[in-house]
Amino acid sequence: MAIELHPLEQFTIEPLIPIHIGRLDLTYTNSALMMTIAAVLITALTVLATRRAALVPGRWQSIAEMIYEFVADMIDTNIGQGGRQFFPFIFTLFMFILFANLLGMIPFSFTFTSHIIVTFALAALVFILVTAIGIARHGFHFLSLFVPHGVPKVLLLLLVPIELLSYFIRPFTLSIRLFANMLAGHTMLAIFGGFAASVGLFAFFPTAIDILLVGLELLVAVLQAYVFAILTCLYLNEAIHLH
Amino acid sequence: MSEGGPPDPLARLGERIDKARAERVRRQPAAVNDRSALQQGLGLGFRIGIELVVAVGLATGLGWAIDHWLGTRPWGMIVLFFLGVAAGMLNVYRAVARISTPVGYRRPGEDGVGTRGAKDAWDDDEN
Repeated sequence: MAIELHPLEQFTIEPLIPIHIGRLDLTYTNSALMMTIAAVLITALTVLATRRAALVPGRWQSIAEMIYEFVADMIDTNIGQGGRQFFPFIFTLFMFILFANLLGMIPFSFTFTSHIIVTFALAALVFILVTAIGIARHGFHFLSLFVPHGVPKVLLLLLVPIELLSYFIRPFTLSIRLFANMLAGHTMLAIFGGFAASVGLFAFFPTAIDILLVGLELLVAVLQAYVFAILTCLYLNEAIHLH
Repeated sequence: MSEGGPPDPLARLGERIDKARAERVRRQPAAVNDRSALQQGLGLGFRIGIELVVAVGLATGLGWAIDHWLGTRPWGMIVLFFLGVAAGMLNVYRAVARISTPVGYRRPGEDGVGTRGAKDAWDDDEN
């Protein structure tokens, strides 16, 4: 493999299998390849690990059960009643982002969560789902979400736009947070790596920093998946219980 | 093996696990709380950093776009900039204050006497 001297080179999308249907460009890229790998690995982990389910779990079953319980716990504490029916959705979301971030930590692989269009698609999905559930459950009453209680009528003129804005900003904060963290982290790793490659004898220092950064990036990778999932929980909670 | 028979070993195992778990939580509740607090704190820290920036940036951009369409330069941008700042601060405040049901001002599980009393007092003040 060639050494990537440009720190942003790692984010380039490379077409692998060109697919054009009509005017649609459905080319299978390295990004899509990593998504496929992530999906396959997740399925393998959850299906294979629990295929021969034992009362006393083995290693793999233990991992699968721990993740399961972690997500179930998160849903119980953040949504509470009526939250379990969203378990499949949140579990899938969490695992997909977690695997995306962790797979991206493997050298020369590709981090698809470092592309805003991917994270925005995920965040938009969450946003649309939450809004749809809120409207389906509460109808017009859902709009009471934007009207704070116990506020003089005149102030509502000011507060309702603020509430609306802070609601519609969500998919953007959700997606930009994940994307920016991944992009910045990986760029930083590559920059220090480039340093190490170019300073010769003094390469020890940037290499040491890079090693520390890898640890930090692993933390960020897991934490960002957690944050994304927990915010989805919070938004769902609000749509279900309204206040 | 002393009490009960073989018919329900699973139930007994479940009981024993529950007991052990309760024991563990009782023995070191501080450590458990510490860990979950750290986890939550980290999550929160990573959450709120970007909240304000995105709110301000996005609202200002939206204002600029509205100006562009309607030719109301510079009012849309000015108004939306301030609204964006307010919305961003609101989001940060709610995240920090752990009002996890962000939109709206009532805290979850605090619909009880305390809040309502305070709110009524506030309303009375206004009138």
